Amino acid sequence: MTVLKRIKENLFLVIVAAVYIAMFIINPAMGTESVKNSGYYIKEMLMIMPVIFILTALLDLWIPKEKIMRYLGKDAGAKGVFLSFVLGSISAGPIYAAFPMCVMLHKKGASIRNIVIILSSWAVIKVPMLLNETKFLGLKFMAIRWVLTVIAILIFSWISAKLIKDEDLPGEVLTQPGLHINRNACMGCTLCTKNYPALFEMQGKKAVVKAYELESLDLELLQSVIKACPVHGIEYSKN
Amino acid sequence: MDIFTLAIWIGTLVFLSISLAKDKVKTKQALKMALGMGKGMAASIFSIIFAIGLILTLLPPTEIASYVGKQSVFLATVVAALFGTITLVPAFIAFPLVGTLVGAGVSIIPAVAFLTTLTMVGVVTFPLEKKEFGAKFTAIRNSLSFLFAIVIALVMGVMM
Repeated sequence: MTVLKRIKENLFLVIVAAVYIAMFIINPAMGTESVKNSGYYIKEMLMIMPVIFILTALLDLWIPKEKIMRYLGKDAGAKGVFLSFVLGSISAGPIYAAFPMCVMLHKKGASIRNIVIILSSWAVIKVPMLLNETKFLGLKFMAIRWVLTVIAILIFSWISAKLIKDEDLPGEVLTQPGLHINRNACMGCTLCTKNYPALFEMQGKKAVVKAYELESLDLELLQSVIKACPVHGIEYSKN
Repeated sequence: MDIFTLAIWIGTLVFLSISLAKDKVKTKQALKMALGMGKGMAASIFSIIFAIGLILTLLPPTEIASYVGKQSVFLATVVAALFGTITLVPAFIAFPLVGTLVGAGVSIIPAVAFLTTLTMVGVVTFPLEKKEFGAKFTAIRNSLSFLFAIVIALVMGVMM
């Protein structure tokens, strides 16, 4: 049963692996070709992902929630929109590099609209990409596409914000009394079970709270574990 | 490494040293958190990367381009947009490719549709995006991006 569950959680990985195995059996040359094609992307990923993770964690640590809310939150208005475009444009790396950063920003109070703007401009109008585009397609082509893309992002980020509520994103923990782990958000990093093994344990790929007595809780340790959780999936409220 | 990636590395390392000087314990915690994030995303990222390698072998961009070049503008736009959607191609391959296409007299509408969907809409990144942002967010963001990619392409076709 647990095997089935693990397959379900990593369905995409399983499918990709299965296709590779099939390919290597039927046509080994094509299999090798696919691995070679992946090489560039692995290099690209290794160049950008470690630094993105560190930067995300550092920003999470040092930038207070109020600041993020003021500059990128719902009430940030035009200033927030502009800042989001700038953030996305000076970025590097493929779109998935923007995911951890945007998840962190959203949890700290950035609005859906600004998250969509950062993701989209990260993907399609970042500066290194525009330079490359000018080289091969000309300045006029690049400039017109840039202006149209900015307008399009302005419109569809606004539509997205109308359709999507903050609660639709995982990681919004309900404020109930007691100790909770958001299972949708948990990605099984085992940080909580390592730091506080008396309270947390792994069940499959997710962390769960063990049975506990309120009096025996080490609140200081618990607070540090809550802060350390990369997805902010642990919530504790007293009453 | 392009200059922007380099700048992010340098900026982050400076940030890290300041953080380390200010609060060792908190910084250590942040680094652990970064490692946790990396571990949590690693499996998904590797599936994305190897899926792209697979798609590029099964549907080589140059063959798609030569196919697109022979079709009517409408069909070419649809095929180009769909191809852009299912894969992620680095800019240094995509731009010269599109440049040759446009240079060969192919309409720029499919070319622009391809360029925009290529990076902004992702079938291969869908599972990871869904995990991080939820199904609703991912579905809406990707479908709106696809729709507007076509609109941008059409408007550019009229303007240029």
